[in-house]
Amino acid sequence: MQSKYTDTELIAQSLAGNQAAYADLMKRHQRFVFTLALRFAKGREDAEEIAQDCFVKAYRSLANFNGESKFSTWLYSIVYTTAMTFLRKKRVDTTSIDDENTYIQLENQSGGMDANIAEQKSRSYYVNQAIDQLLPDDAMIITLFYKGEQSLEEIGLAMGIETNTVKVKLFRARQRLKERLERTLKHEVNELI
Amino acid sequence: MNGIEEKIWNYIDGNCSPEEQQAMDILIATDEVYKRKYHELSKLNVEFSCMELDEPSMGFSYKVMETIRTENAMKPLKAAIDKRIIKGIAAFFVVSIAALLIFALANVSWTTPNSTSSMFSGIDIKVPQLGNYLNGNVLKVFILFDIVLALFLADGYLRKKLNSRQTQ
Repeated sequence: MQSKYTDTELIAQSLAGNQAAYADLMKRHQRFVFTLALRFAKGREDAEEIAQDCFVKAYRSLANFNGESKFSTWLYSIVYTTAMTFLRKKRVDTTSIDDENTYIQLENQSGGMDANIAEQKSRSYYVNQAIDQLLPDDAMIITLFYKGEQSLEEIGLAMGIETNTVKVKLFRARQRLKERLERTLKHEVNELI
Repeated sequence: MNGIEEKIWNYIDGNCSPEEQQAMDILIATDEVYKRKYHELSKLNVEFSCMELDEPSMGFSYKVMETIRTENAMKPLKAAIDKRIIKGIAAFFVVSIAALLIFALANVSWTTPNSTSSMFSGIDIKVPQLGNYLNGNVLKVFILFDIVLALFLADGYLRKKLNSRQTQ
């Protein structure tokens, strides 16, 4: 059950030493933080590690949150820096959707999931799959914009980039997503025929 | 084509100025290319909004809270003590010492002797009889202050204990 308190009230309670309030705050944001982490890690275990690290870091520096931005924006900036550190550490191959090899690799991957595919063939499933194939930065921008209720300015704040850069990146990410969706759905239609 | 798409995305996102928005309204209504593109991108926009959020494992929040609890338990006592208490005690001592110093200096008789052989022999320090003060109102105020301070500290300690019990 979601807490009736606002983020600000829960933060105040957490700072007063009430750990249950922080648990409530975390429950409210954990799905989103985990999804963002998945955009970078591509594996559930690693994503959980990143998300866990984010919440512990956020707790440690909760007193430094000055309330100038939304708590979620502040939290997503922690997610971004933690995920980037994780990528640097693990040296995960973050090849672009434009890379033809990646496309072939992903095609093979999807071919191996035929058992589940009948159940999961919904539009949102394809959208999620296409987002997973974007560059982490682009995937994060798309997710923050559509699901995080963040404005372009807030996305820029969370990722430490200019608002105009966010705008350009968002436009490119949408184009790539569109191309990927068209390619995937065309492939699926052929498969059905 | 990219120029058209960019304009339409701006229009869909609501990032256009009122003039631009008006111009786009007309273009979408009259121009077939704009109209087709607008419908295509609007549909995509709805689909992007339908993306699903992933759920972490069941024990996720427990793991995080456990890490936080362990970290708190490992904190040295120095970091766990409320700094306001330390500052309060320090302020009490500073005020007491300052008051004693002022009182002592006020009671010093600064008359200089005629003889230069001994510089300090002429200073007549009157040591106050502490017994007179300890039996009076000062002692009562001092004890009252101590009781209030003790109650304040006990309240803080019990509150912390109650909070930690609630989280377990």
